[in-house]
Amino acid sequence: MTLHNQYDVFLSIIETHKGIIYKIAHSFCRDPDDQKDLAQEIILKLWKSFETYNQQSKHSTWFYQIALNVAISYYRKEKSRSNLNVPLSENILNIADFDHNTQAEQKAFFLTQFLLELKELDRALMILYLEERSHKEISGIMGISETNVATKIGRIKVILKQKFSKTEI
Amino acid sequence: MEETNFVLLWKEHYDKIDESLAINRQLLKENITQKAEHALQSLAKFKTRGIIAAIIYLILLGTILFYAISNYTSAANYFIVSIGAIFLINVKALYDYIKHLVWINNIDYCGSIVEIQGKLTQLQVSILHHSRFMVLQFPFWTTFYLSDNWFPHAAGSGYIAFQFVLTASFTLLAYWLYKNQTMENAQKKWAKLFIEGSGGKTVIKAIKFYQEIESFKQSH
Repeated sequence: MTLHNQYDVFLSIIETHKGIIYKIAHSFCRDPDDQKDLAQEIILKLWKSFETYNQQSKHSTWFYQIALNVAISYYRKEKSRSNLNVPLSENILNIADFDHNTQAEQKAFFLTQFLLELKELDRALMILYLEERSHKEISGIMGISETNVATKIGRIKVILKQKFSKTEI
Repeated sequence: MEETNFVLLWKEHYDKIDESLAINRQLLKENITQKAEHALQSLAKFKTRGIIAAIIYLILLGTILFYAISNYTSAANYFIVSIGAIFLINVKALYDYIKHLVWINNIDYCGSIVEIQGKLTQLQVSILHHSRFMVLQFPFWTTFYLSDNWFPHAAGSGYIAFQFVLTASFTLLAYWLYKNQTMENAQKKWAKLFIEGSGGKTVIKAIKFYQEIESFKQSH
C-alpha cells in the first residue's frame, strides 16, 4: 500500500470513528484545550499504530484500545503539555453550533461530569458500555474477564444512579 | 433513573454531536506528517534539564579522570579507582534512564488496556531501579581523597579506624537502600521521601496506579 493509499484508508477510518475520539477526549479532559490536545494525540498514535496494524482485530477494537490507552496515559501525565505543531486555536474535529439547554442535554452533561469523577480504568470501561460494545469485546479491549466486566459495570451503574438521584433533574 | 437510560442518554446526546462533527482534513494531514518531529518533541520534554545536567557532570568527571590517568602516579590510585567507579555508575544509570524514556515514548498502544497500562506503569517504575543503582556510588565518595602517599601507612590508627567506620557505614547504607528501595516498600514514609527525591512524584503515582490496575484485574 502506498503512503497515499494508506492515508486515504486511515482517513476513512477516522471519518467512521470520529465520534469516538470526541467522546473520549470529552470524557477524559474538562479543559477545552486539553480536549483538543488529547484528540490530536489520539489521532497521532492511531496513525503511528496504523502502519503496523495487522487487521487481525476488528477496526473498532483496535481503535478503542489505542484511543483509551492514549487517553489514560495522557490524563495521568503531569500538567505540562507538549506544544504540538498544530495551534490549539484550530481543531481537527470541528463541531457546528449545538443546543445544550434541553433537559436531556443537561442530563447528558451530568453523565459526562460523573464519568470524569470515576477512576480512569472504570471510566474507560463505562465508555465502552455506553458505546454498546458487547461484554466479550469489552473484555478483549480492557483485558479482564467477561464476568469481571459484568460485575464492574453493575457496580459503576449503581454509583452513577446515586449521583443522578442527587441532581433532581 | 433506569439502567438503560444511561446508554440512551449517551447515544442521543452524542448522535447529534456526531452528525455535526466535521474533520479538518488539511489539519489532520499536517498533524500526521509532522509526527516524526512531534515524536522528537515529546521525547525532548522529558526532564531534559536533568539529563543535560547529568551529561555535564559526567563530562566533568571524565575529564578529571582522564587527567589523573594521563598524569598517573601511584598516589592517585584511590582517586582513580573511586572516581572511575562513580563515573561508571553514573554512565550506566544515565544510559538506562534515557533508554527507558525512549521505550516509554515509543510504546505501541495497541493492546488491552490493563496490559498496556501495566507495561507503561512498570516502565515508569523501573526508572526507580536505575536511580536506586546510583546509591552504589556512596562508598566511593569516602575514598577518593585518600592517597597512597599517606594512607594507610602514614595515617594514625585513630584516623584508620575513622576511615574504616566511615566507608563501612556508607557501604552498608548503600547496600540497604539498594535492597530496600523497591515497589513493595514504596508506600513507607522513608521510601516515599527517597523516591520523591530521586525519581519524582511521577514514580509514586505510577506505583499507585499499578496497584489500581492490579485491583481492577480482580473480579471481587
